Amino acid sequence: MTNTRLVQNFRGQRGVLLAGPGMAVETLQACLTRLGMTLVRLGDVDPAALDAQRDILLLDGDAPLDAGPACGLLRRAPAIGLVGVEAPSRLKALMDLGVTAFLRKPVHASAVYAALFLAVNGYNRVRGLECALAEHESRKRGRRALVKAVVQLMQTTGIGDDEAYDVLRRESMRRRISIEDYAGQLIAAPDAVHTSTDQKQRA
Amino acid sequence: MAQETVPFGVLFSVDGPYGDVSRSMLNGALLAVSEWNDSDHPAIKLAPVIGNPAGDLSQYNALCRDMLAQGLQHVVGCYTSSSRKEIIPQFEKADALLWYPTHYEGFECSANVIYTGAVANQHLLPLADHMLEHHGRTAFCVGSNYIWAWENNRILRERLAMSHGRVVAERYFPIGESDFAQVIEAILKARPAFVFNTLIGVSSYCFLRDLRATCTARDIDQPRVIPVASCTLSEPELEAIGEVAADGHITASVYFSTVAAPENDRFVAAYAAQYPSGPVVCADAEAAYIAVRLLALSLVEANGRTDVDAIKRAVTQVRLHAPQGLVRVDPDTLHAALTPRIGRSRKDMRFDILAEAPMPVRPDPYLIWNSPRFWTAGSPPALRVAV
Repeated sequence: MTNTRLVQNFRGQRGVLLAGPGMAVETLQACLTRLGMTLVRLGDVDPAALDAQRDILLLDGDAPLDAGPACGLLRRAPAIGLVGVEAPSRLKALMDLGVTAFLRKPVHASAVYAALFLAVNGYNRVRGLECALAEHESRKRGRRALVKAVVQLMQTTGIGDDEAYDVLRRESMRRRISIEDYAGQLIAAPDAVHTSTDQKQRA
Repeated sequence: MAQETVPFGVLFSVDGPYGDVSRSMLNGALLAVSEWNDSDHPAIKLAPVIGNPAGDLSQYNALCRDMLAQGLQHVVGCYTSSSRKEIIPQFEKADALLWYPTHYEGFECSANVIYTGAVANQHLLPLADHMLEHHGRTAFCVGSNYIWAWENNRILRERLAMSHGRVVAERYFPIGESDFAQVIEAILKARPAFVFNTLIGVSSYCFLRDLRATCTARDIDQPRVIPVASCTLSEPELEAIGEVAADGHITASVYFSTVAAPENDRFVAAYAAQYPSGPVVCADAEAAYIAVRLLALSLVEANGRTDVDAIKRAVTQVRLHAPQGLVRVDPDTLHAALTPRIGRSRKDMRFDILAEAPMPVRPDPYLIWNSPRFWTAGSPPALRVAV
């Protein structure tokens, strides 16, 4: 299920900053406070506990970003890239961490809300699309079982392909599972799940 | 004690499509200057340097550049958001302060702007709640085609949606447009509970006149049947509309000339004495008056310093007993806490105050306390047409 409800109010959320000690954070801190948010350093939180509903990462592209197992964990939350040097290597490092919005350094107050808006909603949109894609992939894999189940029904009951498909669709809906999952169960254990279909066919 | 004269810029488009409103703002600012300079504050005198961009964005830039090049650190000015946005980069570059003295749509907090006008939680949201309670849940939006109308209509859509109401149509027109026959027919056909008007200047006056005339010709009591609500309509604009169509319009504002307070009585009298030929006093004049008063008080509070850091610190410390009531500037957002009111216009070009907040309301420019986490405004309705 895709969740693409647009977030417009970030009150109560937390900015999580990964930046070198030299980065001035006053403007960023003031902007986030104004928006009802707090700011912490990544070093002060457990990366495994990052929560996409609460946390928004602020990743300094000029800091080392490309090492360590924590990098994988960072993709658990929306991220804004803080861009100083516009070199492709740094931009790629930010993109690889899932950054969906940029703020130029030094951070300018008038850009922060827009960056949050794009980062959070871009992240949600991408996650939604990834979920939808995974579901489609799963269904695509299940089509083989579906074809087999249609053929099996045609052979065992003597009905046509359209009718066999309708039977599978109706039964899967009754069981509240996808037609592909039902087809998989049918070909794995035809006797166990076929009974009700047979009864209906005979009726 | 040595007297210091502090020059500051005053930048209002007294010519052009929103010249009437800008003249009121200029008057308010200059009244505050003359009152201050005539009062017993020997330490600081104010010296306004006046510019008139005539509604031309390139002129805003040019005049602003000149003012900042002269070394002015403070400019009171702008009416439209587009003009403010145009010149803010110059203030940030020069580290000077723009004192922006009018209501706007919010979603901005520049470190180089003091916002003394109202934002949506001080004008539009009280208006939406009033219209929902007293007039109904469907609105037809008519506006000038720029950010003020776009964003206010979005906020209204959100507020109505949360109350199971809706915006039935949004129509946008170029600034200065005067032909509204088609949209008036659409309004009469749609019969919304109210019209939300974000037209500015002459467009607004033409629309209100034509709507009233069309309704009268068809025997429709327009203020009762299809009231028009806005966050901008002011006393001088009622005069520009004319007596036939001036009455019965609902307006949200932090100031009306009919506010019952001794400070306002004094302000109205002083304004009338200084500008006997008008335009009459209004919210925009009061907002500019407040901006200059706050600047002056901040200069005093800052003990002779005029730089941006000192004045920004000082302005959050001062308390101004303004014509509308107590005004202070919020340190987090540099926006003013103001007192929202709802007024209904009368034939004598004044407003009856229907409701007012019991105390100043803290500004919420990003609506973090006044909007849901998720977008609920939906999309603009299908009838949205940019002419």
